[in-house]
Amino acid sequence: MLKTAAQEQLLPGETLQQRWEFAQAAGYDGIELRAKGDFHFRGRLPELKQALADGVVMPTVCVEMLHFFGAFDDELRRDAIEQLKSQLSVIAEIGGLGAQTPASYGMFSRRLPPFEPPRGEAEDREVLLAGLTELGEHAKREGVTLYLEPLNRYEDHMVNRLDQAADLIRTVGLDSVKIGIDSYHMNIEEADPAAAILAQAPWIGHAQVSDSNRFQPGAGHLDWQAWIGALKAAGYDGWLAAECRLTGDPADAVRSVPAFLRRMGA
Amino acid sequence: MTALLHSLALPLTPAETDRLRRHAAAVLLGNWTGAATVPSRTLYPHQWSWDSAFIAIGLRHLSVRRAQRELETLLGAQWGDGRLPHIVFNPAVPRDAYFPSTDFWRSSTAGAAAGAPARTETSGIVQPPVHALAAWLVHQADPAASERRGFLRRAYPRLAAWHDYLTGSRDLGGAGLTANVHPWEPGMDNSPCWDGPLARVEPAPPDSFRRADLVHGDPADRPTDLDYGRYVKLAADYRDRGYADTGHAFAVEDPAANALLIASEYALAEIAAAAGADPAPHWHRADRLTSALVDRLWDAEGGIFRCRDLISGELIDERSVSGLLPLIVPGLPGRVVEGLLATLSGDHFRLGELPLVASYDLKGRSFDPARYWRGPAWFNTAWLIERGLRLHGAEDRADALRAAVLAWAGRSGFAEYVDPFTGKARGTRDFSWTAALALDLAAETSR
Repeated sequence: MLKTAAQEQLLPGETLQQRWEFAQAAGYDGIELRAKGDFHFRGRLPELKQALADGVVMPTVCVEMLHFFGAFDDELRRDAIEQLKSQLSVIAEIGGLGAQTPASYGMFSRRLPPFEPPRGEAEDREVLLAGLTELGEHAKREGVTLYLEPLNRYEDHMVNRLDQAADLIRTVGLDSVKIGIDSYHMNIEEADPAAAILAQAPWIGHAQVSDSNRFQPGAGHLDWQAWIGALKAAGYDGWLAAECRLTGDPADAVRSVPAFLRRMGA
Repeated sequence: MTALLHSLALPLTPAETDRLRRHAAAVLLGNWTGAATVPSRTLYPHQWSWDSAFIAIGLRHLSVRRAQRELETLLGAQWGDGRLPHIVFNPAVPRDAYFPSTDFWRSSTAGAAAGAPARTETSGIVQPPVHALAAWLVHQADPAASERRGFLRRAYPRLAAWHDYLTGSRDLGGAGLTANVHPWEPGMDNSPCWDGPLARVEPAPPDSFRRADLVHGDPADRPTDLDYGRYVKLAADYRDRGYADTGHAFAVEDPAANALLIASEYALAEIAAAAGADPAPHWHRADRLTSALVDRLWDAEGGIFRCRDLISGELIDERSVSGLLPLIVPGLPGRVVEGLLATLSGDHFRLGELPLVASYDLKGRSFDPARYWRGPAWFNTAWLIERGLRLHGAEDRADALRAAVLAWAGRSGFAEYVDPFTGKARGTRDFSWTAALALDLAAETSR
């Protein structure tokens, strides 16, 4: 059985402990954390340690910033790398598995004006490989994994599909860098999401779930049975972390996810 | 020998069964083309009719939506006269990837009078009607999803028209059974049952066609060139007659094709009821077909159903697995069931001593453990016999056969067929229906 997690902001409650109580009752196996910039996540370490001591399961963290390690701007890129290194260290310190990040988000889209990015493809690749190497080596030292998330073409212009992420990861050559797949982005970018999962199986380290419309799994039209079936066929035994918006009553919506994913084969 | 065989067919451990499930799922996901599943990426790059039905039966455990789509794609290529073509060609695949291809069948032009689709190219012959049975099983996997998509309501009229064609234009013997007009139609292409009826057919000259099956298949595992010349001649003549069901040089009543029609007719009755139609005509037709099957094809002395050659009017003196498949028919007379069960474990098929069922009489003069339908064991026939054994209360034998299917399917890399003595893989690997039916039996095992 695959394990399910909900991102912390989806769960009702003020504290991680309260959220965990709700999550467990709904059938989740863990909580995916979110990490803001300015070393905010490091500042939460006492809170996270207490939650850990209280039995909250927190396997992964997802970056919640507006600049990333593929930024055009040197300073922003440098900051993103430092933030992410710190986040990897923190998730390691609380016994987690790793941190998920895209190459960029909302910085440029080749499908929207002005269509041509200020930086060429070769330079993009150089920047991404350098960032992934530095972050991957840091993750390796910390004993955790960096999950590179392909985003759809409207949100990132560099890494949209699993094969592009796998190509970068192969080149970097570190076991501490894997793909963090996301069903919503895959639905837009992959010709056959299930086939893409099988084709890139060895590189997949983490999975985030939301439906075709970005709402909770079950609220859209993805073929979840095939998507989860492919993950299981690929031998994946990691997490399915809900990173989504909610439609309907928020508590009911977030509560519906584990049972739905189970029914779809998780 | 027996000890060795049983060690080859040892039941899978839970870990092995889990691995089998994963591998089977990977085969089906890998052979999916967006609207249907190819039987094999190399040897069979289009959609095949009875393959799709068997595939849907397994696919329902992996994606109900894909299982429905698999059948809908096939039903979408139905001809106006009700026939479901045995191949639906994928226009994206090069013409020379398979023979005979679209330029041979020319369905949209040569088949126009019979109502062939104008925009989808297909073959003009048929395969056994497993489809209504498959549609019902797919529905049962998730009735709510089926209802939401109107799956049965849309499939029912097409499936009913399909059965009307088989029992109407294709009742060539006039006794109520469906007839097959090409050796490929009963699905067991080079069965020794067809050697006699085929011998009357003048083969097409060898230089008039180029086989594509030998590019990806071992010639020793495939039909001979001479047989192939006759297959081509029969199909070309059918095409040149506008696919009209008159004047056939080859016409046989096959027990498996008719047994599958009966099993599907029962399923069609269920589908009719679920779709708001009257099931009674289907119950009655299933009854009539069952009586005709026993009257026309049962050989009480041999304890097996025979094929009937409609040109000579004689029963064909060969024992094929086809003659055992009526075991899936509910409501067979008790003496017939007893006869079939005895024949299954008797000298000619030795089920129990051998883990699977050979496609042809182990003592037959044409037996060949490697060549296609002249001896190798196939997984679709095993799946059907397993179902038949269970239907008639032979649970222990069904359990053993199920375990053997899982063991040999998994260990052969989902071979198209296997040597019935050794389990050695033959034909292509990663074969879709082998994976699908193993997945189905594995799902049943875990239930």
